[in-house]
Amino acid sequence: MNGLDVGWFTERPVGELRPGDHAWLAYATREEREHVIGDFVHDGLRNTEEKVVYVADSPPERLPGVRRLDDVTLRDRVRRRQLRVLSRAQTCLDRAGRFDPSRMVDVLAHEVDAAFDQEFRAVRVTTDFSWLLTAPGGGLTRMLSCEHLVAEAVSPSTTTMAICQVRRGARPPDELAALRDTHEVLVEANPEFDDGVLKIVRTFDPPGLRVEGELDAARHAAFSDRLARVSKGRLRTHLDLSRLRFVDLGGLSLLTRHACDLPGGSVLVLDELPPEVEDVIEMVGWHRLPGLVRGRPREA
Amino acid sequence: MRPRVRAVRWEAVSEPFTHRLLPYDGVESFVAGAVPFLRAGVAAGDRVMAVTDMARETLLREALGEDARRVEFVDAETWYAHPARTLAECLAEADAAASRGRRLRLLGEPVWTARPPLEVLEWQRAEALANIAFADTGAALMCPYAVRTLPPGIVAAARHTHPETARGARATRNPGFVDPAAYCRRVDSAPLPDPPPDAVVLDLDRPDLYWLRMCVGDYARGCALPEDRLQRLLVAVTEVVTNAVRHGAPPIVLRMWTDADGPGPPALVCEVVDHGEWAPDAGFGHVPPRPGGDGRFGLWAVRLLCSLVQIRTGGGATTVRLWFRHRAGPPRVKGFMQSAHRLDSAAYAERVRDDLDRQVTS
Repeated sequence: MNGLDVGWFTERPVGELRPGDHAWLAYATREEREHVIGDFVHDGLRNTEEKVVYVADSPPERLPGVRRLDDVTLRDRVRRRQLRVLSRAQTCLDRAGRFDPSRMVDVLAHEVDAAFDQEFRAVRVTTDFSWLLTAPGGGLTRMLSCEHLVAEAVSPSTTTMAICQVRRGARPPDELAALRDTHEVLVEANPEFDDGVLKIVRTFDPPGLRVEGELDAARHAAFSDRLARVSKGRLRTHLDLSRLRFVDLGGLSLLTRHACDLPGGSVLVLDELPPEVEDVIEMVGWHRLPGLVRGRPREA
Repeated sequence: MRPRVRAVRWEAVSEPFTHRLLPYDGVESFVAGAVPFLRAGVAAGDRVMAVTDMARETLLREALGEDARRVEFVDAETWYAHPARTLAECLAEADAAASRGRRLRLLGEPVWTARPPLEVLEWQRAEALANIAFADTGAALMCPYAVRTLPPGIVAAARHTHPETARGARATRNPGFVDPAAYCRRVDSAPLPDPPPDAVVLDLDRPDLYWLRMCVGDYARGCALPEDRLQRLLVAVTEVVTNAVRHGAPPIVLRMWTDADGPGPPALVCEVVDHGEWAPDAGFGHVPPRPGGDGRFGLWAVRLLCSLVQIRTGGGATTVRLWFRHRAGPPRVKGFMQSAHRLDSAAYAERVRDDLDRQVTS
């Protein structure tokens, strides 16, 4: 994952967020943000039953998820006030241009009340806080108190779910950890594949896939397809295998054949190999699996 | 005396790859065969290994003098741990030497005592397979056999598996040598004894195998199979069943039982039977695939993962029997499979539901 201790949080794919979830996304790349926030926003705007409140200074059509709508649908969602894009100044800052957490909570509460009057079934709220961490009147302490206010507003709600986004490089890891701790849910990308036996999740830092559960012949095609997509144009594709319980010999062959089909010098990096899986690989011999390299060891 | 002259003569009478039997009846004939073989390697700049026990190592060191410093001595008990794995590792050494323009020269005396008969059979098979596996590596292998102390059957088999016999520094063609493929066919022609009547039976009626792994895993936990061996078992069983589903014919049946005092090691045995027959050239996964191949290892890897593998095909059916040695002692847990007799995927699902109900209600 991100190298931080994730002990008592609930990890949840963005598609499974529920009302009352106050979720945290420390994204590593724009691609990750597009994946997660894009699905969050798009899920809300696809139908007409949910309201989306996005605090940002960009024009709506450039926001993650909104980009996926055609012009007609976008105009419709804006007209019926289903999509609300609020500027940073209007939402977060006082008249002097300083960060004002209580104003922010008031503005959001107003939007939620309005959604109730318009008979929306749910409200999705999101913003990227990265800029506030260094803005006048911002900084870690103010942000922490702001997050507590947001948590108090969202958590008991039966209609509202929120994702607080922060660029992972925006502040040092300990500050991000403190902020993260004010959330109950860590949100991640929707699985690329999940049949109850095998689950494949896109990862972004490092780029690759997390492969969970059991990979066998019934699932080779699904895996091969996802692997081809993610490894295209990459020299190093990482596979997080920390939650892999089983891989058959065909699965190992598939990996090595895939690695050999990639442009010269490209490799598949196997991160956090479970010891029992590594034992099988050692038995076959790494030298018979060209293109596969041992990556980050498993955390104790 | 420099061994150079002898080395040249040695090379002159041999093909690049050699596999020689060294029958010996005492210290003298052992040293007379082994020392020129090792010295020739030292002189030629080979990678020279001697796999043997402490007593013979001492003998050889004394006889080799200065040359002993260029011979790697390896303990035979450690080296001869598992036929398929030893063959694979030795082949990897030969390939590594060849890639540096050197030859692997190995004096290796297999360990024969205290092995159950089925394991002996597999070590003898490994001797035969070495002739195929090492053919293009240029390796020189010499296998000492103590003709006076070993059971006569073991010495007789060695005469079938070595193309040449060494006497002192000379080698002669061995008239008893049998083509390795024919040798393997002969080993695999003896019929397998029937599974015991209390074997657990799984009818494999669908290609998705996750439920099968649940059943096999549960059964294995009740059989004192070490936990770190469980993955090997599941990988091997999955491979064999996947093969049967792809290339065999239904119905496919898996049986599991434990064998404590049969011809094999004390083991958990899994048998997969389907109703197809393998093509004569199918290959039983005896010979390690060469690196740089297509990355398919199939049955060969199954042999590495199991303690031993038996395959019989013909008469309208194919049977693959996988043995997993377990430690002595009582089972760790009693799983739901311990009380099962015959299951298919639907019966399995029902059993899992019952199990869950019991956990919820208790």
